[in-house]
Amino acid sequence: MVTFLLILHGLCAVALLGAVTHQTFAVWWPARKAGGMPSSFRAVHAARFTNGIILLFLVTFILGGVIYPPYRLAVRTYLETARLWTVNGSFELKEQFVAIGLGMLPFYWHVWRQPLDEALRGARRATCALLFFAVWFGFLTGHVVNNVRGIF
Amino acid sequence: MLAARLIPAFAAAFALVYAIAEQFNIALVTYHPRLGQWGWLTEAPRNGPGMYWYGWVGTAFFGALAIALLSLPLTRNRAPQWIGWGVPLATMAAFVYLLRAFFFR
Repeated sequence: MVTFLLILHGLCAVALLGAVTHQTFAVWWPARKAGGMPSSFRAVHAARFTNGIILLFLVTFILGGVIYPPYRLAVRTYLETARLWTVNGSFELKEQFVAIGLGMLPFYWHVWRQPLDEALRGARRATCALLFFAVWFGFLTGHVVNNVRGIF
Repeated sequence: MLAARLIPAFAAAFALVYAIAEQFNIALVTYHPRLGQWGWLTEAPRNGPGMYWYGWVGTAFFGALAIALLSLPLTRNRAPQWIGWGVPLATMAAFVYLLRAFFFR
């Protein structure tokens, strides 16, 4: 069951990663028209990703919370025994970043509400970038921790 | 508009209260994973490690909600919107500093 939930957590994280990356690129580096793949990637309607990102963040967060106890008992004990402090510390940072990201979700929803408030343009860009960073950091850290016995 | 006054304060307070809860271990609940038991507030570990992260998130949620509501009289028209991302950004940077010992051993 834990393995199933871990894979589901990973799949939701991949979907979240895609959505938040699309939105962040569209808001920081907008493309006037979709030509090749790079410009098509950026030429999306950024606001339409907002509710999906909130839902995916919540689902991924909850699934992460459900599979956290087996990590605490088995994986973290291994990380400490193997003295893998960087990996352990990265996971500690991940849990703080995603918790702060969770608290930012209402503000994220607020700045992306339709019709878009031009006065909140800077806040939209900053909030997007922070979520982008938290999600990417969480994903990469989770990926390394998931494979830690194979890597180290 | 109520949302424009309440929500930035909530986001800022959530990050701050979470950081305080994590640093001083002020948890709303404690989970004992080896026993599969929950306890109220910060409890000492029982037969294995105690997990406080769920409790810190709970503390941050209710603390931020209270602070955001209490701050309403201070933001009669509109709260400064930058606090909604500026304080979380600063808190994330603070965590990098606070957890630096993991990376410099």
